Parts: sequence; C-alpha cells; structure tokens
Amino acid sequence: MPSVHFDHVSKRFGATTVVEDFNLEVADGELLVLVGGSGSGKTTILRMLAGLEEVTEGMIRIDQRDVTALPPRERDVAMVFQDYGLYPHMTVRENLSLGLRLRKVARKEIDRRVAWAGDMLRLEPLLDRKPKQLSGGQQQRVAMGRAMVREPLVFLFDEPLSNLDAGLRAQMRIEIGGLQRRLKTTTVYVTHDQVEAMTLGDRIVVLADGRIQQVGKPIELYRAPVNRFVAGFIGTPPMNFVDGQLLREDGSTVFAAEGVRVQLPHEIADGTGSSEVVTLGIRPEDLTVDSGDSTDAPADSIPGRVVLVERLGGTSHVHFDAGPHRLLASVSNDRLPEVGDSITVRVRAERVHLFGGDGRKT
Amino acid sequence: MRAEQRSGSLMAAPYAAFLLVFAAYPIAFALVLVFLQWDLVTTPSFAGLDNVRLLANDGRFWRAVANTFVFLSIHLPLQIATALVLALALNRPLVLRSFWRASFFLPVVISGAVVAILWSNLYATDVGLINRLLVRIGLTPVPWLTDPSTAMPAIAAMVTWKNVGFYVIIYLAGLQYIPRSCQEAIEMEGATAWQRFRHLTLPMLLPQTILVVTLSTINGFQLFIEPYVMTGGGPLRRTYSIVLYLYTNAFSYQKMGYAATIGVALALIIGAVVFIQRRVIGKEETL
Repeated sequence: MPSVHFDHVSKRFGATTVVEDFNLEVADGELLVLVGGSGSGKTTILRMLAGLEEVTEGMIRIDQRDVTALPPRERDVAMVFQDYGLYPHMTVRENLSLGLRLRKVARKEIDRRVAWAGDMLRLEPLLDRKPKQLSGGQQQRVAMGRAMVREPLVFLFDEPLSNLDAGLRAQMRIEIGGLQRRLKTTTVYVTHDQVEAMTLGDRIVVLADGRIQQVGKPIELYRAPVNRFVAGFIGTPPMNFVDGQLLREDGSTVFAAEGVRVQLPHEIADGTGSSEVVTLGIRPEDLTVDSGDSTDAPADSIPGRVVLVERLGGTSHVHFDAGPHRLLASVSNDRLPEVGDSITVRVRAERVHLFGGDGRKT
Repeated sequence: MRAEQRSGSLMAAPYAAFLLVFAAYPIAFALVLVFLQWDLVTTPSFAGLDNVRLLANDGRFWRAVANTFVFLSIHLPLQIATALVLALALNRPLVLRSFWRASFFLPVVISGAVVAILWSNLYATDVGLINRLLVRIGLTPVPWLTDPSTAMPAIAAMVTWKNVGFYVIIYLAGLQYIPRSCQEAIEMEGATAWQRFRHLTLPMLLPQTILVVTLSTINGFQLFIEPYVMTGGGPLRRTYSIVLYLYTNAFSYQKMGYAATIGVALALIIGAVVFIQRRVIGKEETL
C-alpha cells in the first residue's frame, strides 16, 4: 500500500541547511499536515517528495520504492499548487485530461475519469470554460480535479487555500477534508495556517528551522506540546507565556513571577528542581475572569487590569496586565469586564504547561 | 483638470510634431503623388490614374512582389524557429548567459549596410569563408549570391541572422511569463521535454509568436539594403525586392509619382497580409 517514508533526508542550498535529518512515515491513506512558519522547510520537504527539488542526503520511498533520484513524472504523485498552476490556454476539460492524454490512456477511460471528477467537484457546468473565467474557488476545485483524475499514489497540497478569502477558505477546507476521506489517498498537505492543520490533519508535523518539533494527532499537539514553540504555534488565540521561577513552599511548588503566582499541582511540579527558571504556559481558555476586587482571591488566581476587550460574539478576548505581563483570557460573554477594570483571573492550574530554559517541556 | 490637460498636451506636443512632420505629412504627400507625374526638378503635372494603371500592368513590379513573397516564405519560418530555439536555450541556466544574450543581440544594432558587406564576403564564391568550410569538409562550393536559385535564400538567411536577437528578446520575455507552477504541474503529469514544449510552452508563447510574425512580415516587406548592396537585385532580377524597385524608380528614373504608387501599393499589401495572418493564427489567442 502507498505509504511514504523519509529516511534521514536533508536539503542544503549552498551553505544553508533548509531541512535537517528529516525522518517521517506517512501511513497509507493518511492525511498528514506539515505546518510551520516561513523558512521552516515545509514546502521544501513537499517539493523533494514531488521530485521538484533534489535531495541532498537521505532517501525518500513511496510505496516502498526508492524514488529519491526519480524525476517527478516517474513518481506517480499529483500536486495541487498554491496558485493552482492551471494551464491558461486550455479549457477545464483539457486541464483535467492532459495528464491522462500524455500517458496515452484510452479515450473512454479519460472521459469516464473527467466525468467522475467533474461530478465529485461540481465542475460539469464549467468544463468548457478557461481558467480565467473561473472564480478562485472554482480554479481550486479544477486543480484538485486534475490531481484526482490521475489516480496517483500520493496527493501533495502546497498551501492550496492561501489565495482564497476567509469564507471560501473555510468551505474549501471542508471540501478537501471530505474528498480525502472518500478517496482514501495518502496525502501530504503543507500549510502555515495552524487552523487548517488542526481541522484537516490525521496527524500534524510541526516544523521550525528545517527540523521536526513534534509529530502527533491534532489534539495531542494541543494538549501536550513538547516545547514552547509548538505550544505557541498550535492554538488560537495563542498560549500565554510568563517567565519566572519555581519555589518550594510548605511542600508544594509555586510558580512565581512579578505579578503572577500559581500554585502547581503535583503532577505538573514533579521532577522539577527548586529555584528553577521556567516559562509558564497557560491557554487563554484556561483562564477564568472573576470581575471585582481581589481581596479574598484564592491561591490559584492572578490580579490584573483590563486593557482591551475584543467581543467576538460567542466568546470574547480579554487582554489584561498582570504585573509587567500582558495576558489574554478567552471567556464567555456572560460577565464581561470593561477596559480599566481590576479583575481577578483564576488559573486552571491542572492545565498549565511548564517549559524549561531550553524551551522544552519539563 | 484643465491645467492637467494643458500640461498633458504640452508634453505630447514634441511627439505630435514629430509625427506630423515625419509620418502624417509624407503619407499625405505620397497619396497626392500617386496622381502626379514628377521628376523632382520640373513642376509636377496631374496624371490621373496613369500610375495605377501602369503599376497593374508592370511585370517588373509583380516580379518584385513575387520575389518578396519568396523571401518571406523562407525568412518567416526561419526567423520564428531560430528565435524560439535560441530563446529556449538562453532561458536555461547557462554559463556566460549574459554574454550569449548580448552576442545574439549585437547584429541587431549593427548597420544593415555593414552586415550586408560582411556577408557578401562570407558568401563569396571562391574566397568566402562559407565555401571554404564547405570545401574543407569535401563539398563543392556554392555560388551563393550569383546563382538565381540560391541568392534569395542566402539573403533570407542573412536577414534572419541579423534580426534574430530582437525576436529572441520578445520570446525570452514571453518565456518568463509562463508560471513556474504550470511548468512543474505538466512535468509532474508525466510530460516529456517535447510534450512540455508542445502543450505548454508553444501555446503560451502564441502572443509573442503573433508579434514576431507581424513585425518580421512588416520588416521583410521592406527588404532593401541587402539586395541593394549584395546583388543589385540580380541575378536575373531574382532578388529585386519591392522597395528596391521603388527606390530605382524614384532615384534612378526620377519617377516620383510612380514610386509613390508602388509605396502605397506596398502599404496595402502589408496591411492585407498582416490582416490575414492575424485571422489565421490569432483566432486561438484568448490568453
């Protein structure tokens, strides 16, 4: 079955290392998302898999076959490009069928597959139009159809939604996910958008500086990020970070920073040293705002002053200062404080994350 | 708004003046000359449609038209093919790419007369470089410019060489317009190098090809310096071009009215040919 293996793959452009010792297995039928900022190496990895970029070191296998040195056309993979890469002088039908015509597939079979893709992607009324006569979303669907009709071993998506507006992006995201689940074709999907990664991926690979930071199911990355980078990258709004120290007080461990004190439960504090310099990570939804004074505040709460309230409808973002730290709480709309209010913010201490000086989870 | 209009007109004025003096006026003058007989010295006299009638029955003129079409039928395909091949080669990563690009463009800026003299030497039957190379590899020398069957093809090859750099630049610009994702997409779809050219590069260069065909047609119809310098229109009038015939009538025979008639006829022929070309190859253009 068509799985994809990267074995110790590196890519260097001159003296610059773009991808370093990349090891990964993409399971058959899986939708794997490579996510990272610009310069993280995610597109380079995809292009090496496509054969559009040479591998400096290591081996890539598709369906157990070593494809490292093969040209793109011998790899049996199909790619959906960021700007779609549709042939502007051809109709949609010609765009869809060109790959099959080049491979001398029988006419009847071509017609069958074009009809199948056209039906699946609702392209029938557009088959005789040229790409420039289509909207962005329609062009996107043609690009997917062109990949589908080839019935390749692997689909590659290179930031396919980044040229679409927000509404269409959400819709196409659902379509891509649904399509992949129906076709069950092994897929590698590159994006810089962590929402896309979270919603689409069976598994996510978080990349930074050409190295894998973490591989896992979306919810694993969210709940148990292995380092500060992943913690900050996955999740919207992003996690709050406070630099401070661990103190032992009366047999319990307390995180202390100017303006922020949080008593840590044993399962989080275990294995940490006293006076250790750490970074505390708190997801915005793990903060609860108690408006009013903080005179009888419990031990796991932080006093703060509201600096901004963003009302999003269902929930709102309350930005507040706790000492020198600017923090964000994601709260329901029942009792929203006003700007300038003094508030008490309760921390769900069992949900916080601690990262050591090297950024790794302690 | 009015001030803007005034400054706009002012800025366009020098070009408008240039156009009036060197284009509009000569065109109008030529159209008037068609109905006159004039030897540049004496007062012009009205000739009615005599010049037109003469032209219609002038075997030498029609011979020149035929010669020019022979020239174009060799020059056009050769020009498109060489420009395209060179542009494709120069578009690849290449050692000394700028040097090669400059080299191919150099002949464009050299005076036509200089190029014609240079090539007369290259084409010379006994001492010319080309024939010496032919002899070196065991072939018989060809009397390039003195054999009626080779003279016009030889001139066409030379004109192609001289102009190719200009059309290479047009094609290079077109090649850079082909999105990289299209090239990568077709590569991934399994296209060989020839299939990529046939299905992507060539169709996407259609606007450039139309431009190259149009410009080299217009230029080709104005063929003059090369036969004037190299063959004088011979052998057996086989390289007598329309413009050379026009020039001879104007400045050898002082028949300005007739020369102007030939000029107007030439303009009409160019217009008609370019119109037909656009109809034939332009209908696909929907990029």
